[in-house]
Amino acid sequence: MPEQLAENSDPSTLHHAVACPFCGLLCDDLVVAETRGALSVTDNGCAKARIAYARPVVAASPLVNGKPASLDDALNAAARQLKRSRQPLFGGFGTDIDGARAALALAERCGAIVDHLHGRALAHNVRVLQTRGLATTTLAEVRNRADLVVLVGADINDDFHEFARRCLRPSSALAEERLATRRVFHLGPAREAPRQPGVDAESIACSREEVLDLVNALRALRLQRQPRLRGKRLQAVSNLAGAIAASEYAVFVWTPGQLGEDGDLVIGAVCDLIADINRSKRAAGLALGGNDGGQSAIATAAWLTGYPLQLSYAGRTLEYDPLRYDTARLLAAGAVDSLLWVSTFNPHPAPVTDLPQTVIGMPTAQASSMRGVYLPAGTPGLDHRGQLIRTDGVVALPLPQLRDVALPSAAFLLHEIAKRMG
Amino acid sequence: MAGRSITELRGGRVYDPAHGIDGVVQSIYLCDGQVVGAPSDPSDIKVSHDLSGCIVMAGGIDIHTHIGGGKVNLARMMLPEDHRQDLVARGRHPRMGSGHAAPSTLTVGYRYAEMGYTACFEPAMLAANARQAHLEMGDTPIVDKGAYVLLGNDDLMLRMLAGKEPGVKVRDYIAWTLRAAQAMAIKVVNPGGINAFKFNQRKLDLDEQNAYYGITPRQVLLALADGIRELGLPHPLHIHGCNLGVPGNLDTTLATIAALDGLPAHLTHVQFHSYGTEGDRKFSSGAAAVAEAVNRSPNISMDVGQILFGQTVTESGDSMRQYAGSAFGSPKKSVLMDIECDAGCGVVPFKYKDKNFVNALQWAIGLELFLLVSDPWRLFLTTDHPNGAPFTTYPHLIRLLMDRSFRNDMLKTINPDAAAASTLASIEREYTLYEIAIMTRAGPARSLGLGNLGHLGVGARGDVAVYVDHPDRERMFTTPRFVFKAGEMIVRDGRVIASPTGATHVMRVDYDTSIERTLDAYFERYMTVSRRNLAVADGEIDGDGRGSLIAHGARRSS
Ligand code: SF4
Ligand SMILES: [Zn+2]
Repeated sequence: MPEQLAENSDPSTLHHAVACPFCGLLCDDLVVAETRGALSVTDNGCAKARIAYARPVVAASPLVNGKPASLDDALNAAARQLKRSRQPLFGGFGTDIDGARAALALAERCGAIVDHLHGRALAHNVRVLQTRGLATTTLAEVRNRADLVVLVGADINDDFHEFARRCLRPSSALAEERLATRRVFHLGPAREAPRQPGVDAESIACSREEVLDLVNALRALRLQRQPRLRGKRLQAVSNLAGAIAASEYAVFVWTPGQLGEDGDLVIGAVCDLIADINRSKRAAGLALGGNDGGQSAIATAAWLTGYPLQLSYAGRTLEYDPLRYDTARLLAAGAVDSLLWVSTFNPHPAPVTDLPQTVIGMPTAQASSMRGVYLPAGTPGLDHRGQLIRTDGVVALPLPQLRDVALPSAAFLLHEIAKRMG
Repeated sequence: MAGRSITELRGGRVYDPAHGIDGVVQSIYLCDGQVVGAPSDPSDIKVSHDLSGCIVMAGGIDIHTHIGGGKVNLARMMLPEDHRQDLVARGRHPRMGSGHAAPSTLTVGYRYAEMGYTACFEPAMLAANARQAHLEMGDTPIVDKGAYVLLGNDDLMLRMLAGKEPGVKVRDYIAWTLRAAQAMAIKVVNPGGINAFKFNQRKLDLDEQNAYYGITPRQVLLALADGIRELGLPHPLHIHGCNLGVPGNLDTTLATIAALDGLPAHLTHVQFHSYGTEGDRKFSSGAAAVAEAVNRSPNISMDVGQILFGQTVTESGDSMRQYAGSAFGSPKKSVLMDIECDAGCGVVPFKYKDKNFVNALQWAIGLELFLLVSDPWRLFLTTDHPNGAPFTTYPHLIRLLMDRSFRNDMLKTINPDAAAASTLASIEREYTLYEIAIMTRAGPARSLGLGNLGHLGVGARGDVAVYVDHPDRERMFTTPRFVFKAGEMIVRDGRVIASPTGATHVMRVDYDTSIERTLDAYFERYMTVSRRNLAVADGEIDGDGRGSLIAHGARRSS
């Protein structure tokens, strides 16, 4: 049978050096096989990536108030919704740089407020940047130059999983001697210490709430002040303080998304410690975050407006206010009257609200029951090309198109809505 | 033949130094985006602008302005207080935005155009950050752009030099880097010093060894300058030397010029590298000595990096010196970054105060340099935006150069000890419009090998700035009557009326592609991206009709 033959003659294509968009690390060493639109990671990449690439493509139709509609009708409905809205909120913002550009252009046009799904976590880091500044480093510096890495309340077992293999314990480094003697510490709940084989982190177990105390104690020890710790814990922290004193290049890693409400305090304390060390030796920080295009969103907003998120186009001039323009607070206060939600990397549902919505991205269970418009969109790096900025804020990577499933990009849909705004 | 559609710019006073035209009243004709000759059939002239009483120059070209890339964007994010005082209201420009020291990309493009500038070159792109730099430049409207990519602090270059790799290997690496980063030229910042700072060295003199690689700044400079000459790049090595901002660095600068020994080089923001140690405060002007050395070295070009008083932000790849400077920052916050075994950066907000002795003398040193360097073809007008001052101060700077009495009035307002320590009051030179046109148009275009930019001859791009002649040159240069970009009127009476997308200029030279296999292995073994993904593809710049690329070639085939 000819069909059988066709199937036997291997129809799959292998893509090499694929950059993964599923967390802020953007590992670019994945090998991905494509077979009639189905993707599977065949080399490198973490479990999270393997699951995300393997998600089946759902043939989704645009919906208007839960009913299938043509793309044109759905786009018109989305534009009408925005035109009627006196104060739209653009949330989610899970898209690539082109998507961010298109979203910001549309937001300017309709006077929207803009926030990102991980807006609060991103704002922790930005706040520290704006108040005291930061000394930071990037992935290749960690890989090659660090002789000490301290994970400060950072759990890299799920997100950022490959940080272990690619940076903490790589197979080679420019400064081989530093790699050979590199020590890795973990501060935080013992169950969150890195479990990747070969990492061998020295764990200083404490609750999430205690991380700040431990960082302050480290600093006190450096400044030869009495730390507010005793017993075993003091011993453990003193041991780390000794390791810091002996190090030539210490890197402190934090994950803003895991730090909770006072994340900026922890980051600020770590930055104070880094500043102390830099007076005589070298140290630097590294934030692991920026998932769902978060790093790209704040960077693109910053270059197009001067401000990172969260910001508002509602007035005569731009307004930047991370507290005031926070999605959850705006919705709770009834300060907005429509929501445009973009989530193209993961099926993050829009927050529950009665407001009219336009949702762009992956189909979610919610889409079929909501009031408003659903527009299916492709995932950058799988369904269409794109670009994203890595968590260190330096390296931007190209994302390939791996298959052709005729899903438009969020950027395309946003441009089309803008055209229909009249 | 169908009638052509020619725009006539009639009867303005034209300054076109590339053709030796010094204030001649003549008409300029634009057609299909270019300057064309006078039409034989007058009916081809579809639009005519009467420019009597106007000054006509090619569009301005800024050879050194930090407009795109990671550290610029960090400065933006870091300084909401900077933007809040200079917000661009809806309707003022085609898109909203903000200034002032770290403006949004949109605002940068519009404001440059509003001053009559039509091309800007970002001098400090990192290969590791090239994609983002191009994304930002891609969102900078109207102006053409291009960037210089940094080499000389990357571990790879230092390893190559330490391993005594042959010059041809270094040249292939330079050429590959230009291509991968889509760059126009090569810059070195604190040669080897940024790398040394990662190994905790806090200073690195011209002949001091990097503690890890054993390589000196002199070796780095010579390897790069020589490689660039061999490759035939029009713009020579763009050098931000050792010891930026350090009192006494005038000796380093003189030693650097001597070390180059005739090799072509461009010394950037020389004001920050012309300090002596005389006087009670151990800080003095080295401008005369540096200017003298530049005057007698035809291989050297320079830009000044003039400081002007007020709040700004300093952004530099020189993490070593920026760290040292962070103690003097205002407001007190700074960013320091070690970057990707490639480079580094430091961002420090700074307020230059006219009553502060050091700042006031820096101001005077910059002006002394401008006035003591004799050849405007080798001297370009910059404030090293935003390091010395935001680019929007250019009209003021031009007035300082063109108007001695204004300059002397300003001199009387600065810190009196600094004024007394400077020779500025005794310098009589006043720049002419012709010299300004050289420094801001013809000179940068020639240095960068831009071909059809920076002049108004037949075949030139129709980038034209028209100013109303006014004795107050600051006023005149602030608000052009018209600006044309590729023949289209984009500014009228100092306001943007159209916002086309400028091109991205890149330099392309051939290289032996076997270097890519060496690089593949290096990236695989040590880096966190693959060589292939590091490289910025043409389509990322000119795809989807977003932008366009103009590729330039070597001066001669090698
Ligand atoms: S660690 Fe992050 S970027 Fe790397 S493969 Fe896993 S999800 Fe993708
Ligand atoms: Zn500069």
